[in-house]
Amino acid sequence: MSLPDDISGSLADWMIEQRWFASKAREVASVNVLHEVALSEDPQLSLALVEARFHAGTHELYQLLPGERDGARALAELLGAEASIDGVAFHGGLTPSGEIHSMGAEQSNSSIVFGEQQVLKVFRRVEPGDNPELEMLRFLSERGFANVASLTGWYEYSGELMDATLGVLQEFIPESRDGWQLALDDPLGLLARIGELGEATGRMHSALASDSTNPAFAPEPSPESLSLLTATIDEQIEGVFLDLPQDDRVAPIAGRGEEVRDRLQLLSHVAVGGRLIRNHGDFHLGQTMLTDERWIILDFEGEPARPLRERRRKRSALRDVAGMLRSLAYAASASELLRGVPAPENWEQRARSEYLDAYLGAVEPFLLPAGQMATEKLLAIFELEKAVYELRYELNNRPDWVPIPVAGLVRLLDEEVTPA
Amino acid sequence: MNPSGRWFESDPLWFKTAVFYEIHLRGFFDGTGDGHGDFRGLTEKLDYLRWLGIDCIWLLPMYDSPGRDGGYDIGDFYAVHDDYGTIDDVRTFIDAAHERGMRVIADLVMNHTSIDHAWFQEARSGGRGSSNPKRKWYVWSDDPTRYAGARIIFIDSETSNWTWDDQAGAYYWHRFFHHQPDLNYDNPEVQQAMLDVLRFWLDLGLDGFRLDAVPYLFEREGTNCENLEESHAFLKRVRATIDAEYPDRVLLAEANQWPTDVVEYFGDGDECHMAFHFPVMPRMFMAVRREEAAPILEILAQTPHIPANCQWGLFLRNHDELTLEMVTDEERDYMYAEYAKDPRMKLNLGIRRRLAPLLDNGRDEIELMTAILFSLPGSPLLYYGDEIAMGDNVYLGDRDGVRTPMQWTGDRNGGFSRADFAQLYAPPLMDPVYGYQAVNVEAQLRTPTSLLRWLQRFITLRKEHPVFGLGTFEALVPDNPKIFASIRTYEDDVVLCVHNLARSAQAVELDLSRYAGRRPVEMFGRSRFPKVGELPYLLTLAPRGFFWFRLDEDQGR
Repeated sequence: MSLPDDISGSLADWMIEQRWFASKAREVASVNVLHEVALSEDPQLSLALVEARFHAGTHELYQLLPGERDGARALAELLGAEASIDGVAFHGGLTPSGEIHSMGAEQSNSSIVFGEQQVLKVFRRVEPGDNPELEMLRFLSERGFANVASLTGWYEYSGELMDATLGVLQEFIPESRDGWQLALDDPLGLLARIGELGEATGRMHSALASDSTNPAFAPEPSPESLSLLTATIDEQIEGVFLDLPQDDRVAPIAGRGEEVRDRLQLLSHVAVGGRLIRNHGDFHLGQTMLTDERWIILDFEGEPARPLRERRRKRSALRDVAGMLRSLAYAASASELLRGVPAPENWEQRARSEYLDAYLGAVEPFLLPAGQMATEKLLAIFELEKAVYELRYELNNRPDWVPIPVAGLVRLLDEEVTPA
Repeated sequence: MNPSGRWFESDPLWFKTAVFYEIHLRGFFDGTGDGHGDFRGLTEKLDYLRWLGIDCIWLLPMYDSPGRDGGYDIGDFYAVHDDYGTIDDVRTFIDAAHERGMRVIADLVMNHTSIDHAWFQEARSGGRGSSNPKRKWYVWSDDPTRYAGARIIFIDSETSNWTWDDQAGAYYWHRFFHHQPDLNYDNPEVQQAMLDVLRFWLDLGLDGFRLDAVPYLFEREGTNCENLEESHAFLKRVRATIDAEYPDRVLLAEANQWPTDVVEYFGDGDECHMAFHFPVMPRMFMAVRREEAAPILEILAQTPHIPANCQWGLFLRNHDELTLEMVTDEERDYMYAEYAKDPRMKLNLGIRRRLAPLLDNGRDEIELMTAILFSLPGSPLLYYGDEIAMGDNVYLGDRDGVRTPMQWTGDRNGGFSRADFAQLYAPPLMDPVYGYQAVNVEAQLRTPTSLLRWLQRFITLRKEHPVFGLGTFEALVPDNPKIFASIRTYEDDVVLCVHNLARSAQAVELDLSRYAGRRPVEMFGRSRFPKVGELPYLLTLAPRGFFWFRLDEDQGR
């Protein structure tokens, strides 16, 4: 699956089959091209904003880039020229040189690498407003935060339909290893460097909280945030358990929805404190790369299944930390599931505590709730939220992986909670 | 540039599927600690409103005002009341709301100003026959019997629509309080000045206006001076101006009139986008008390069709009295007897109480009324505090009893303000049933079975189905008169809503033969019910219970 889009047969059939098409579980009533811009004639390339309409009358918008095989070269030229065509504006520099190739498609986007120097990420689902990836990369790049691939450009649409970010261009990091693959291929190697990742995460949060004059990033207190969060997670738990299939894989938690909700209630009896800040939003090992020198943190889009405005929300920094802890649990289970080899003994426990210790040592303390117990409880709330999200995701997308979030939930249920 | 602003998809019909939330700024949240709610406080609470699922915030008047009529007596259209903050605070608030996907509309009083307004001060100056150009911005007469066909609206406090002004040496015209002189819309300068006021606020980012008291803009001898052709012509001019300069904004008309008159305010889809449906609301209260659907069915039958780009605004309660102007005398007596047992609860032609006390704090009744409201063709407007079943204080004057501080927590001042109790603009409710210790947002957020949590789920559900805002509406009339049922259809979505108005369990047979073969799926719990066949579909409902179903094409699964 590579860019430009090679659409064969019916547009609707083609689109529904794409990995980035978000609403696979819903029935599509029709697919319509709402806006089309000819970006280049030779090589031929155009941009189409396409609407998928669902039976209830709601809809989603997607970006397609249909064109000839080497149409990607046109994209490079447009970015290099800072072109502006019919509401589509390109920003930032790119001198097209060297080889152009597509990278494997992700859940919500497609990427093209230009001359092993820069990578363009094309967002597929189009929503109004600034994409968090652009905001976050710009913010962190401006502050010289070393653990990201710097922002070098972007392109956007501004027209009758909406204003939206369509893609971001950033530095390409060659010679690096994906954090998730590393955990599977060389778990002990990962363990040796996991502390560095914890430290980088802490510094990332401190950097994100460092500008109180920028309303999109200024840290905020929010007395209601915990109650709103708890209420939201509670609804999510109820929703997942309402739809839980009768299946051996979910047997350990079947009928335990109320127990999970009670656990949430118990955890939420915690003193409020700390700050709400912009955060990564979908932090896991697959969003990291390790070079010889440093960890690189990628993909600041947030969880693709959530609406853009929710992904831009400020939240406790611990939400990212919980995401990484859940990812370590995934890696430990995946080793068995994918490779047939169990993870090294106590691997997850050791990775967890090294990561956490390094994180707590690096992050600005005022961002977290006061006291270790409050921090642990809030962390557990976010792990619970994440596990519930994972459960829904795996049920819809990867039934074989369902046992991982199930085990995560069981563990959270079995843990002792110190009453407040 | 997208006409709807940076954080929205362009959608000229956004208001048709929106859930509105009406806020009395003074009573919502005090962000500065002076005892009055303000824009800073409201901005802090936006995450709460987003969580609840609100699409559009409707603000009561926030303009500079001497405050003799809750801000509906505007002293300066270009300034915010000191208690509420500054124009910069308003801008920050609107930006923050937009960023969260919520739009903002505000009340605008076009009909009149306060006597304190600089325009009126200039107009009255210079003695009898003054040539000051502002004199002609208001309506004057030497004869207080002109326009005798116009009724007096605030019958409890005003005796005439004319008041003598010593300074001007003439009577001035006012349809509301005597301190609110009507602007003279026959003067083109006034029309222009008001269009400029609209532009100022739209430039600031406002998404529209709730236009207060629109039926009274013009006066003509020999008429009742309401709903005149000239008023409609001016509103069409306002609409044309907004469409040309500010697309995706909304005009919501407040015209407390019969639906056949109100519908005129939609024009041919070229006047107001929305108008309140006033008469449906008292009839819902009648229906639940009489335990029969007839009052609702009757008023819906009398409601004309409206242009496709327009929408009714529907509400159970708002900041005013529950108005009984649009009911018969007999119906009014019935309403007073049932809902205003204490004479203090009456005001003008209405009842000044909140939703929960009107329904004796019955949770089932509140849910039932909300469900009926949400099922009707229109956009629902919720009144702040009703989502947690706040009460009222009939001992406060005028309509202040339904405008007490929002109850956020069980802490001091109900979490509304950090000021001293004595500094608060009004005391929060403290009685054992409705007081802030018992009824507050924090406690209800923590309780999964609370009204607040239920409403949040219900709003989410309604928003997943544009059918409620965009679909056709067809009332079903089953043999059982205690059942209010309807079918809504939009694109492929078919929804059946069945409500039991009775205090007792009821069975009902519905003729759904047109949908034979479809499978009702209950929308809250997603339970699948038996397929619809050719025979009447039998349902049993709990006392004051209701069911909402999707009628799905059955795939044989």
